Amino acid sequence: MANKPQIRTNSSAIMAMIADEDTITGFLLAGVGNVDLRRKTNYLIVDSKTTVKQIEEAFKEFTSREDIAIVLISQYVANMIRFLVDSYNKPIPAILEIPSKDHPYDPAHDSVLSRVKYLFSAESVAGDRR
Amino acid sequence: MKQYKENHPTNKSVAVTSEDGNQSSNEIAGADQNILNLLDYMDNYLILVDSVSSSVRQGWLELASARYSMGASRVNSSLFDLKSHYASTTLQVDNGGTDTELPCFTLCKWTSSDEAKLEEDQLLKNKSDSLGSEKRKAEESGSPVTANNHAEKERFKSLSMFGTLVSPKLRATQSTFETTLETLVEMSNLRASLLCAYDQVQKDRETD
Repeated sequence: MANKPQIRTNSSAIMAMIADEDTITGFLLAGVGNVDLRRKTNYLIVDSKTTVKQIEEAFKEFTSREDIAIVLISQYVANMIRFLVDSYNKPIPAILEIPSKDHPYDPAHDSVLSRVKYLFSAESVAGDRR
Repeated sequence: MKQYKENHPTNKSVAVTSEDGNQSSNEIAGADQNILNLLDYMDNYLILVDSVSSSVRQGWLELASARYSMGASRVNSSLFDLKSHYASTTLQVDNGGTDTELPCFTLCKWTSSDEAKLEEDQLLKNKSDSLGSEKRKAEESGSPVTANNHAEKERFKSLSMFGTLVSPKLRATQSTFETTLETLVEMSNLRASLLCAYDQVQKDRETD
């Protein structure tokens, strides 16, 4: 019985989170928490002691896992690794930037919206004219 | 005469010019449509982000109320379940057929694919097959209630990491974040459409 593989479709996936404690608590209450056999979680709680390197490693890990379809990241955390988030171009997992308690959402910093903004910016148009 | 010819070109050149004109006007219309689509998606994305912002804000307030009534030691990250378990709320991702490249995300709330649960379901299924059609019908008619009971059990399981008796505010937090998840999945689908429209507009610019 223990050797039976789990019946799981190829398209079934989970969500990952990189955010503050309260945001992660809320989403864990909603049932998205996952801990694998190696005791690796699908979330990273970011507090004052979390280093940028830890955040980078978590982001890279979550975006490379095949079982993760959406990565939620607080925008202020995304700003710490902005170069990494902006260079991410794959459709799956989808990277969604969400607000946090102390840092409201700013559309100007959103990875996807800033690309669109640049598309219509004067610099972009001027570059084309040259 | 020369002036007449300049002002009234021959029929052939008029036909060629009008074909080129139609083609270019169609291209321009297509490009404009792509830009309009992009702006529409962006507008809808911003609306959804606003909705997520307000619902998570409500969730944080409810969580703070729960923490106030239950005590900070009873609602904190040290109580998170670190034993191996699969997520109760998952996502179904449809990468699309050959005609479409857009991924489609669907939220599956409170489904459990723990091994024990699967084996239990398998055993139940075997039993119901062996019983006969009348009993099978009775079980089928009871299935919506069973699904609701299962969802309630999974909700209780999620809450139970903070204790058996929890504040109603904590249940409200759970409900609020469940709603937020639905909006986030909508956002993911819209993000995929937005990126596709963005790529289209970029291609149009490059061909111009």
